Amino acid sequence: MSGKRVEQQPGFVLHAYPWRETSFVVDVLSRNHGRVPLIAKGARRPRSAMRGLLLAFQPLELSWSGTGELKTLVSVDWSGGLPLLSGSALMCGYYANELLVRLLPREDPHPKLFDAYAALLQALAHGRPQDLALRLFELALVRELGYAPTFDIDADGEPVSPECDYIFIIEQGPVKLQDGQSGEQALSGQTLLDLANADLSASESLTQAKNLMRRLIHHLIGGTLESRRIFMELQEL
Amino acid sequence: MPAALDQLIDALRVLPGVGPKSAQRIAYHLLQRDRNGAGRLARALDTALAQIRHCSRCNTFTEAEICERCMSASRDPQQLCVVEMPADLAMLEQTHAYRGMYYVLMGRVSPLDGIGPRELKLDRLLARATDGTVQEVILATNFTNEGEATAHYVGEMLRARGLKVSRIARGLPVGGELEHTDIGTIAQALYERRAL
Ligand SMILES: [Zn+2]
Repeated sequence: MSGKRVEQQPGFVLHAYPWRETSFVVDVLSRNHGRVPLIAKGARRPRSAMRGLLLAFQPLELSWSGTGELKTLVSVDWSGGLPLLSGSALMCGYYANELLVRLLPREDPHPKLFDAYAALLQALAHGRPQDLALRLFELALVRELGYAPTFDIDADGEPVSPECDYIFIIEQGPVKLQDGQSGEQALSGQTLLDLANADLSASESLTQAKNLMRRLIHHLIGGTLESRRIFMELQEL
Repeated sequence: MPAALDQLIDALRVLPGVGPKSAQRIAYHLLQRDRNGAGRLARALDTALAQIRHCSRCNTFTEAEICERCMSASRDPQQLCVVEMPADLAMLEQTHAYRGMYYVLMGRVSPLDGIGPRELKLDRLLARATDGTVQEVILATNFTNEGEATAHYVGEMLRARGLKVSRIARGLPVGGELEHTDIGTIAQALYERRAL
């Protein structure tokens, strides 16, 4: 287990699953190395010092070593500062984690996405509006992964006008609607410009962004999100 | 390799944490060094599979339709304590601090593992808790994110049906000193401090 050693990286646990008899594999989102799977050796032993620290949604500092696909977690330090999530905020956190686990390739660093994720957790932990926090995170995600076309240029190469309405065609971008045309998926040019500026403070932009992001993410995932299904089922209890 | 040996190695891989190498090692050990033990294991598995089921009231493992604890007349039928696993129930029993009934979820809500209300059969807990006798439900799921998610939604579900719902408290261990307590526990104890 020699090989490259990476020291004291800010990171979050996205998911952990049992590994062999006494260990976990923790899927970690780090700021500078992207998503890395780390073996936490012996972390499932009852008195393991690591066990209580490897909690999702808590800012940590992690060190690891190794060169293979699975690295070995060497140490974890608690950075803290965030109360534990609960209720719907916790479910929003799971949703974000599932998106990252399913969409972010391994060892592909995206510091801006990491910062957007950290900002999402701050908002969730302090009871700020979940809708806005989630949309900004989703926007950062689709942008950083290179899936979002420019929101302020339409499919014909014209600048988007705040006065016009558009429909958003995946893999093409905004297509201007002619006068009198409308559609369920119609978006105002203003929403597109707000998305381009990552400013969703206007309520119409926030609502329209929600629909657009849901479509984009559905397209990227190519199926259903377990966290979403479970959230819906929990709300029906 | 004989087909029966192949099948045994393959079957052993259902054990948690056992990969192909360990399965092979265990199979050789059983056949070579401990054939008596292997026989006992085979019979015990057979018997357990035939006789062990879930208690129709508390969902824990039992041989009867209703387990002894659920049949006991000396326990308070108005209190129902919800735990994740039978081992958690055993710990609570050791405290001698609780004399009510239990419900064992046999898991916890874990969205990234695809475990939600349907997989946990929360409708059975709902039916148990709303039998008309239970007045108070105590949520004793773990203090992990998954345990919290479980407690939150089970709590909401039962409160909406008019039950009194409480959550076991968390904080510093009894006899514990700050200096020797893990940081996460101290942090949460501060966030959840209470007025005196
Ligand atoms: Zn029972």
